[in-house]
Amino acid sequence: MGYARMARVVLASALARWLPASVGMLARDVALDVPGAHLGEVLEGVFERFPNLRGYVLDEHGAVRHHVALFVDGTAITDKRNPNQTLGERAEVYVMQALSGG
Amino acid sequence: MADTLLVSTRKGLFILKRKKDSWQIAQRAFLGDNIALCLVDPRDGNWYAVLDLGHFGNKLQRSIDRGATWSECTVPAYADGDEVTTGDGKPPRTAALRLIWALEAGASDQPGRLWAGTIPGGLFRSDDYGARWQQVRSLWDVPERREWAGGGYDQPGIHSICIDPRDAARVCIAISTGGVWRSDDDGASWKQTAQGMRAAYMPEDRKLDPNIQDVHRLVQCCDEPDVFWAQHHNGVFRSIAAGGDWKEITNVQPSVFGFAVAVHPQDGDTAWFVPAIKDERRIPVDGQVVVARTRDGGESFTVLRDGLPQRDAYDLVLRHALAIDASGQRLAFGSTTGGFWTTHDQGDHWQMLDARLPPVYAVTFAGMD
Repeated sequence: MGYARMARVVLASALARWLPASVGMLARDVALDVPGAHLGEVLEGVFERFPNLRGYVLDEHGAVRHHVALFVDGTAITDKRNPNQTLGERAEVYVMQALSGG
Repeated sequence: MADTLLVSTRKGLFILKRKKDSWQIAQRAFLGDNIALCLVDPRDGNWYAVLDLGHFGNKLQRSIDRGATWSECTVPAYADGDEVTTGDGKPPRTAALRLIWALEAGASDQPGRLWAGTIPGGLFRSDDYGARWQQVRSLWDVPERREWAGGGYDQPGIHSICIDPRDAARVCIAISTGGVWRSDDDGASWKQTAQGMRAAYMPEDRKLDPNIQDVHRLVQCCDEPDVFWAQHHNGVFRSIAAGGDWKEITNVQPSVFGFAVAVHPQDGDTAWFVPAIKDERRIPVDGQVVVARTRDGGESFTVLRDGLPQRDAYDLVLRHALAIDASGQRLAFGSTTGGFWTTHDQGDHWQMLDARLPPVYAVTFAGMD
């Protein structure tokens, strides 16, 4: 019997505030466990749970938005056009806003 | 006369109410978020707000209870393979939504119809209150589109959409930079109608090219829909031919440069502008905020100053930041330095809002409570 690999996804508070009110109104990071062995699969799992979030993280062509940063186990992904790298056991995927001015 | 104003700013949406003889901030929404513009749908009173979230892209929110609660709509999306090619030599780039720069409601017999103009130059249409959007391919596919260019932004954008009150199949849009385009068949086909506009800053053989004209804002008179006014990078233009055959108006005081224009909804001869020093400076002439008004179709202008700052004022008024209400009596405008002024007598007297707002991007009257 195989088992589903799970990733821990943390949505930074700036992103979590746009989740449905029952989840996002706390204005803090939101963490969830999502199955998937690849980053793309895990992201799809997040978007299944929160459909409106897709447009916040990805643009209409599926690329990670220019001002969104994705960290896998502490390292920022570099291929933002094709965010689908293989994930290790209990990977942590951190979704946050890139820092910018104003 | 309208007693509610929606003020879209760099740091939130401010809802102003008129109480006794002055306007006050009554409500705030999306505090801290960048609000590009709002639409008040005259058919059902619903409010729409375009959020330009720096990190997370453009979002569209709707309120059916005058701002008490909001819910998220979808936003227009470009198709895979759509490419922005511009006429100013920039390398082609994948087209992706940068900004909803115009949002207008369809006619009363088109419930749910919305039009959205965007950067990088696509026009979109929804027939279900913004739940789904279709790109108007007939405009995107015109060969001339590849000669459009960025005006205020890197990429071209549609900032004005005028729907003919007599016949909603007649739609006129303006592009910075790409001139004026008109459809007489509900967007099935388009023609360039900026003939008569002039861009003095362009090379000699391109000055009169309609497709390079940098219209800053286009407005249509509601009761005289053949009359249009345009504030253009090069000056002020007027059409009495349904958005074509433009005539230049050169005597606007103190300057012909600016971004905003408002036309009286019942009288196509009456219009207002907020002039600035042109181009590379973009500040009021002599540090004085003034409004220029014509009541004779641009034959003459009155410079209105009463109640406006006349010393050391560096307020710039952007293209969507001057509004007029349906009565044609009340106007309001806000500036990039957060100044905000209203008038109840067509600009003879102005009142400054007692607040220091964030930079103002758009001003919209919202009717009566």
